Amino acid sequence: MAFCIAVIGKDNAPLYLTTSDMEQELELQYHVNAALDVVEEKCLIGKGAPESKELYLGLLYSTENHKIYGFVTNTRVKFIVVIDSSNVALRENEVRAIFRNLHLLYTDAICNPFYIPGESLTSKKFDRAVQKLMSGTA
Amino acid sequence: MQIKPIITYSGSCPLFRSLESQILNAIPLDTCEWRRTFQRPTKHVRLEAQAQQFNVAALEKYKQGDWSILEHPILHIFVTECNDVDTYKATIREAIDIWLKTLTSYGVSDWMILLVETLDMRKTKNFMPRTTVLDKIRLDFGTKNDDRCISVLNPAKFEQKSTESFRCLVQRIRFLMLTSYNRNIVKYEELIRSKREKRNIEGWDFRQYFFMQEDLALIFEKLELPTEALIQYDELDAMFSQFITHTGLNEKQQWLNHFRKPLDAFHGICLTRADKFEMRNKIRDEGVSLLEFRNYLFERQAYLLLTCNDIPEIAKRLLNFLFSTLREVELIKLECQEGALCCWEFVCALEVLQLCEQAMEPNELTCFQHCAPIWNLAKDKLYELGKLCGLLPGCTPTSEQLHIVVQLSSGIGDAPSEQHQFLQATPQLRDRSPNRKPKKSGAEQLKEALGSNQAFQKLYLELAELAISTYKHVTRLRSARLVGLDLGNFYCALNEPHKAVGFFTDLLRELKAENWHMLSSQTLLELANCYRKMGDSLAYTKTCSSISCCAELETLVRTFYFDEFLKSLKTLKTTLSAQPSIENANYCVLEDHFRILDIEVVNQKPIIQDDYILVQLKVESLYPRGVVAENVKLCYELEASSLELAMENVSLTASPSTVKAKDTSSRLKVSLQLVYKQDNRLHSAAVACDLPKSKQPVRRTSSTKRKLSPSVQADFTNFVQAENIALQPGVNLIEMKAKATRVGCWQFKQLCISMSSLEFLSEQLPFMPATFEISTKPASATLEFKTLIAGIVQPISLNVSGGSFIFPPDAKITLRCSKNLRIRQARNTDDEAAYNDDQSFESTLQVPLVQFKSFEERRIPLEVLTDMPGRKVSKHHEHHIALNCPWSRTELPIAVDFQPAMEATCRLHTCGTQKFLQVIMKGMEAHLLLQHAQVKCDVPGVQLLDLNPESQQPIEIYKSLTVTYLYEIQVEPLKTEHELPVVKVHFVIKYASLSQPDVWRTYGCAFDLVDYTTLFKLQAQLEPNELCRLRTVCNMNLKITKVHENPYTDLMYEVLNDQNLWAVCGRSAGVVSMKDVDSHSISLDVMPLSTGFLPMPSIRLSKYTAGGKSKTDGHSKVHPFPPGQVYNSTKSMQIHVIASVAGDQ
Repeated sequence: MAFCIAVIGKDNAPLYLTTSDMEQELELQYHVNAALDVVEEKCLIGKGAPESKELYLGLLYSTENHKIYGFVTNTRVKFIVVIDSSNVALRENEVRAIFRNLHLLYTDAICNPFYIPGESLTSKKFDRAVQKLMSGTA
Repeated sequence: MQIKPIITYSGSCPLFRSLESQILNAIPLDTCEWRRTFQRPTKHVRLEAQAQQFNVAALEKYKQGDWSILEHPILHIFVTECNDVDTYKATIREAIDIWLKTLTSYGVSDWMILLVETLDMRKTKNFMPRTTVLDKIRLDFGTKNDDRCISVLNPAKFEQKSTESFRCLVQRIRFLMLTSYNRNIVKYEELIRSKREKRNIEGWDFRQYFFMQEDLALIFEKLELPTEALIQYDELDAMFSQFITHTGLNEKQQWLNHFRKPLDAFHGICLTRADKFEMRNKIRDEGVSLLEFRNYLFERQAYLLLTCNDIPEIAKRLLNFLFSTLREVELIKLECQEGALCCWEFVCALEVLQLCEQAMEPNELTCFQHCAPIWNLAKDKLYELGKLCGLLPGCTPTSEQLHIVVQLSSGIGDAPSEQHQFLQATPQLRDRSPNRKPKKSGAEQLKEALGSNQAFQKLYLELAELAISTYKHVTRLRSARLVGLDLGNFYCALNEPHKAVGFFTDLLRELKAENWHMLSSQTLLELANCYRKMGDSLAYTKTCSSISCCAELETLVRTFYFDEFLKSLKTLKTTLSAQPSIENANYCVLEDHFRILDIEVVNQKPIIQDDYILVQLKVESLYPRGVVAENVKLCYELEASSLELAMENVSLTASPSTVKAKDTSSRLKVSLQLVYKQDNRLHSAAVACDLPKSKQPVRRTSSTKRKLSPSVQADFTNFVQAENIALQPGVNLIEMKAKATRVGCWQFKQLCISMSSLEFLSEQLPFMPATFEISTKPASATLEFKTLIAGIVQPISLNVSGGSFIFPPDAKITLRCSKNLRIRQARNTDDEAAYNDDQSFESTLQVPLVQFKSFEERRIPLEVLTDMPGRKVSKHHEHHIALNCPWSRTELPIAVDFQPAMEATCRLHTCGTQKFLQVIMKGMEAHLLLQHAQVKCDVPGVQLLDLNPESQQPIEIYKSLTVTYLYEIQVEPLKTEHELPVVKVHFVIKYASLSQPDVWRTYGCAFDLVDYTTLFKLQAQLEPNELCRLRTVCNMNLKITKVHENPYTDLMYEVLNDQNLWAVCGRSAGVVSMKDVDSHSISLDVMPLSTGFLPMPSIRLSKYTAGGKSKTDGHSKVHPFPPGQVYNSTKSMQIHVIASVAGDQ
C-alpha cells in the first residue's frame, strides 16, 4: 500500500526509514527529505494561530508517481508516508488510519525503558509491524 | 460565442422591433440586485439580453426535458399599442389570452405584458376615461401578477417625457429576468441531476451531459458567479476522472472511444486564447483527444480562477492536473510518441508560470510557493527531452533523434493567436514594462531549445536557477538543494565541475547537519567525482577519505575510494608545497573518520616535572582497512581556574557571579588584559586571545568548500604524541607519552592525527576528560629516628630524596652537630672493636653522595651519641643537627631530642645525731647494667661509710625499676656546721647498655648536703601508756630538747592529726621559747577515734618569728625545719587503742 514509511525526529534526523522497493530507496529518501520543508511550513503556519489540535498534515506534495503525506506528533516527531499515485482507491481516511496505527506503534516502541530518545528505532517488533502496515495487512 | 439571455416578443412585433435596440442597449447599463434562493447571498449583477420572436419550438424542447439553459427563453413579452378599451375588448384581449394559455401549457410563468401609450390620443379627447386599457389588462390577466403588466410611453415619439417611464420598464425587465433565472436554474439543476443518475444506463453519453452542465457553468459565469461556475467544471472533472479510472469495470461506456484518439497533437494549455470556445466547438463537432479535452477543462477552470483573482489556485491545481492526466492516458492506453507527454507537461508548466509572474500582492508569496515545484517540473521535463533528443552535454543528436525533434515540434503545434486585449481587460495583473519585449510562449521556447544543444543548455540552466531561487524565496531550502544536486550533475556533464562543487557542498552540509547519512554518502560520491575532474587533489583526498569511512556505502565502493585516498595521499605533499596558501587548508574533521572512545592518563603516581606523561587513547577507526598515522597528538592546556582567580581579584563592573559563571571548558585560550592609567587606576579590562600571531586560531567559515573543515585549532604547544601508529578498523589502543615540562593543572583539548601532510582535527572532545597535574618534586633530606636516649649509642637514618635536582659527581651532605652531640656513620657490627670505640664519633660528618642520580632515593644509616646530663635539668635534652645540602644554600636545622637513660636522686636520713645518705637510681627508657657505685667526698673531716653489700654481678635495671644505695656520713666532732655549712658529695656509677655489655661508661652526679646537723629532738608520750580507750581523752606529753646550739629561740609546734584517727581536744599548736632552757615540755589532750594500733600523731616543728617588732612586718612567719635538723624519736611508735566499755564510763 505504501512505498515508504519514515519516522523523523524533532531535529529532522531520520530515526526510522523503510522502503518497499530497494531500488527506489535513494529517490524515496530524497522525497522524504524534501517533505520536511512542507512539514515545517505547515507547523510554522500553526505557530501564529492558536495551537492546532490536528496532527494529520494531509498531502504534503505530489510527484508524478508518488504522493507524500505527513503527520506530526505533539513532541514534534514527524511521520512521512509515501504512497503510489496510481493507487486511486486509497482514500484519505485510509491514510489517516495508517498514521494512527503508526503512532500507536511508535508510542509502544519508545515505551521501552532502554530506548534513548533521539536514537534510531531498532526495535524488531516495530519493524515487523511497520512492514505489515506498509503492505496493507495491518 | 456570445452568451446572452433570450427574450421573446409577441403581439405587435413591428412596434417591439422599433423599441428593441433601445431596450437591449439599456439593460447592461446598470446592475440589478439579485435575491437568490436557498439563503444564498444577494448579488448585484449586470445583465445582457437578446430578443427573438416568440416560437413554440423552444417551448416544445422545454416540455420534453431536452432543453438547454443557454437556448431557453427566460422572458416572454407581449407588446401592444392599443389605447382604446373597445378595441382591446374586441381583439387584443383574445390574443393575449391565447398567448398566455400557450405559455401556461408549457409550464412557463415568466411573461410580461407591455402597453405602449401615446399621449396625443389623450390630448385629442378632452374627457378622462373611467378606466384605461392598462387597468383592463391588469384586471383580466394580472390578478396575482400586477408587476408583470406595465405601460410605457413611446420613446420614439416623446424622447424627453418618456425617460422616467422607460427607465422603469428596463428595471422591471431586469428584475423579471433574474426572477426567471432563479426558477430556471433550479429546474435545470434538477434536470442535470436526473441525467447524472442515469450515467450507468447503456446509451448514456458523457459528452451530452458535459454540454448540459457546461451550459449551466456558462450561465453562472455570465451572471458574474465564477465560483459557482468553477464548481460545475470541477464536478465534470471529477466525473470524467472517475469514469476513466473505473473503465475496466464495465464496457457500457461507448462514448469513451471518442477520447481514444492517438495523441498526434500534444500542445499544452493556452490561457490567452482569442476564441475561448474554439475547443468547445471542436469537442461538439469533430471529437478531440483526451489531452485536448483535459486542456480545455483546465483552461476554463483557470479562466474562472483568474476572474476571481485567485492566481495561486491556478498554480496549485496545475501539478494535480498534469499528474492525473498522465494517469488517465496510461489507463486508457493511448498511443503517443515518446517524449510527447514531456512536451505537453513542459508547455503547460511554462504557461502557468508566465501567468504567475504577473501576480501582484498579496498573492505573490502564495503564488511562489506553488510556482517553485512547477519550475522544478519544467526543468525535469526539459532534461528528459534533452536525454531523448541527444541534447545533453557531451552528446550529439543522431539522425533518428533529429527526426524525433521534428516530430515533437510538429506535435507541439503553433501557438494560437493571442488576445492582446486580455491583459488590458484584467487590471489585477501587473503591467509589463514597455522596455521588456513580450515573452515567448512555452511552445516557442521548447521548440527553440530542442533545436540546438546551446539553446537547450541555456534554457535548462535558466529553469534550474529559477527553481532554486524560488524555492529559497519561499524558504524550502531542502527542495532548493535537491535542485542544486541536479544542477550540479548537469555542470559535471558540462565539464564545469568547479560550478557543481558549490551545490554539492551546500547539500552535503545540510544533510550532515541533520544526520541523513545515506544521502550524505551519495553526495560525497558526487563531490569526489567533481574534485577528481577539477584536479583539486587536496579536496579529492579529503573526500575519498570521508567516503571510505561511510558505513552506509557498499564495501567495494569504500575499498575503491580508500585505495584512491592512499594513492593521492602520497602525491599530496608535492601538491601542497606547490600551493602554500593558507586558504588551501589541509585539515579534516576527525569525527568523520575516527571516533574518540576514551582518554585516560595511566600514570600511577603524581606526575613530576621532567617526568613522562603516559596517556592511553582509545580510538575507533572507521576506515575499511588499516592505515598508518605518522603522528597522533593530543594537546592539553591549563585549566581556566587561574584566570578566574585573577578576574575575581579585579574590581570589575560585572558581578562576581557573572565572572564565576564563565565556562571552564572554553575552546579558546584567552587571557585577561588590564589597562591602567598613569596614576595606576584601572582604565579598562578586556579579554584577548592568547595565542601566537603566527598561528591562526579561528578561520572564516567559508560558504563553499571549507565549511566542512574544523573551525578552531587549539594551541598545540603542549601535547602528548605517538608516532607511526598503525590504525586498524575498529577499536585501537594508542599509548602516547610526552615529557612534563610545565607545572600546573592541565586539561586535554584537541586530538590531531596526521597522515602524510593531511591533519585530522577533532572538534570538542566528546566527553570531559580528567585533568591531571604536573608538580615539581624538590630534593629533600630528612633524619629519621625513634625515641633517642642520651648516654648510649642511638641509630638514626639519613634519607635523601633526589627529586628533580641534578646532582654533581662530588655531591655530599654535611651534618654538623651541636655541643656534646657526636655522630658517625653506622659501623658493621662484625667489627666489634671499631663498634665499641667511642673515639670514632665526631661533631661534624660529611656524607658523600656517590653517583647520586635524579629522582633517586637513598637511605644512609648513622649513629649518634651524647652524654647524659649530670643534673635533672629538663625532661628532654635538646640537640640539633644542621644539614648542608648541595641543592640549598642555607643550612637546614633539624631538632633532635634525647631522653636521659636514668636519673639519680638522694635523700638525707637522721637517727639521733647519726646521718645517713640514700641514693636512688631510677631506670628510664634504656635497658642498662650498673656496677661500681661510689660516693666520694673531697672535704677533709668528712668520712663516708659504704653500707651496701659487696656484689660481684652487675645490677640490671630497666624502665620503672629503682636501685637504692645507702651510705653513712660521719663528720668529725670538731667540725661544726658553722665551719662546714655545705658538704659536697659526688656519686659515681658505671653503666653499660645491653647491646654493648663490654663498653662501660661513667655516670656522675653531684649532691649538696646542707642543714645536716641535728638541732632539736622531739619525744612524745601518751598516758595511759598501754591502754587507751576509744573516745577517751588521753594526755600526750611532748618534750622538745635542744641537742645542738643554734640561734633559733622561738619554736612553734603543730599537731598534724588525721581526722579519722585522732582528735585534738584543746590547743593543737603553740609557741615555746627555748632561749634559756635546753628542753621544754608541753601537755596536750588527744582522743583516739578508731580502735587498733594507731600511729602516734604527727608533730611538726617550725621556726617562729614574731611579727610585732616593726611596723613594716606586721605578720608572723613560720618556716618548717629541714628534715636534717629535727629528730622525732617516737615517729613510728604505735598506740594500741581498745574499745571503750559502757560500764566504765
